[in-house]
Amino acid sequence: MVDPVMTLTTVEMVEASQIGMKSLAAALAVVGTGVAAAFAEYGIGSAAVGATAENKDVFGLVLLLTVIPETIVIFGLVVALLMLF
Amino acid sequence: MVETKRGPASYHYVCTRMRVRKSLLIPKEEYLRMLNMSLPEITRSIGETGYKKEIDELATSFSGIDLVEVALSWNLAKEYQRILAITPGALRHFTENYLRSWDIQNVLTILRGKMQGVAAGRIKELMIPAGMKDRAFLDRLLAEETPERVVEALKGRRIHQTLEEGLPEAMETGSFANLENRLYVQFYDELVRDAMSGIKGGRIFLEYIRLEIDVKNIKNLFRLRASGIEEEIRDLMIPGGSFTPRELQVINTTRDRDEFIDLLKKRVHSPPLKSALEGLRKKRPIREIVVELTRIQLDQMERMSKRHPFSICPIFVYLEKKKHEVLNLRAITRGKESHLPAEQIQGYLVM
Repeated sequence: MVDPVMTLTTVEMVEASQIGMKSLAAALAVVGTGVAAAFAEYGIGSAAVGATAENKDVFGLVLLLTVIPETIVIFGLVVALLMLF
Repeated sequence: MVETKRGPASYHYVCTRMRVRKSLLIPKEEYLRMLNMSLPEITRSIGETGYKKEIDELATSFSGIDLVEVALSWNLAKEYQRILAITPGALRHFTENYLRSWDIQNVLTILRGKMQGVAAGRIKELMIPAGMKDRAFLDRLLAEETPERVVEALKGRRIHQTLEEGLPEAMETGSFANLENRLYVQFYDELVRDAMSGIKGGRIFLEYIRLEIDVKNIKNLFRLRASGIEEEIRDLMIPGGSFTPRELQVINTTRDRDEFIDLLKKRVHSPPLKSALEGLRKKRPIREIVVELTRIQLDQMERMSKRHPFSICPIFVYLEKKKHEVLNLRAITRGKESHLPAEQIQGYLVM
């Protein structure tokens, strides 16, 4: 005979585990895209500082170019939010 | 000053700076405009570009053509020193080695001047302190009385032994040509050895240096042909490129021009250089050939710098292009002073 208390505990455990896995996946999405954006900005930022050192007029343009990889993090964030809610 | 840590960030930083500086060099249209100006107009025009500071600084001591020449030399020297200051790690190591050719040029200028009894002040005007030996050291060399004392003062430097061995012959014959050849052979030999020592970026540097050696050797072969020299030329050639001095000797003895071009094309790897050699089958003045080969060399270097955007290539391309800008401006001003027609001056410009 099936123990109703035991069954309930198992279902709760599975549900909790699912929530945990979702949170982990969301965290991975944000961490992965964050690292990727940082890596991209590392190169672009160095080149941007070099270009600005020679010609201050390009500051606005290179600032825009430097933040373009931030869009990757936004994608990661959206994926994470979709997973959580 | 930029932190000279190793890593890609510093490569991105320096290479981008070089690219921006390259884009600010005088364009072809400006040279063509200058060809139609008078000397004072050219001086003013140069003063409005990146040479303003030097022209203003030196205007009280020099005038006319001397002002332009000294200002151009000073600007080139300062620019090269500034590049060294922002270049990190392995890039700095290669750049320093490459700029040592200016040290050879300056030391030879001092030796030639001392041998002919030229005043120290006049020799100083002709020097371009763009290499690793700073102004103070060059001033100390200038203060020496005789060429022997100059060589003695260089004790402990890389070029000392070659200078010591070659100086007696140079003093006896009154010509530093052989000594100069030996110094440049040693210079390129050290560059090739450095590039092959396994240092980071060495492969690209080697590719670059080999191209330069090839173009230099080919130019010299054309010069030797123009002068009708057929004897032993191995000592005049620079080893380390696509050709060995022995092969160059064989090529030089080939009298038939088509065969000569075919032999050169056989060993040259770069397609633009091959097509440029094809265009040289017809007899042309040596000046035109040298300018054409220099232009091809610069184009090739430019291509390499695009293939390796964050390497030593963008730095060297800028160093070379800056040098040719100075040489072009000098050719225009000297030509104008000698009242040469604009078309003739244009033939000397590498654009």
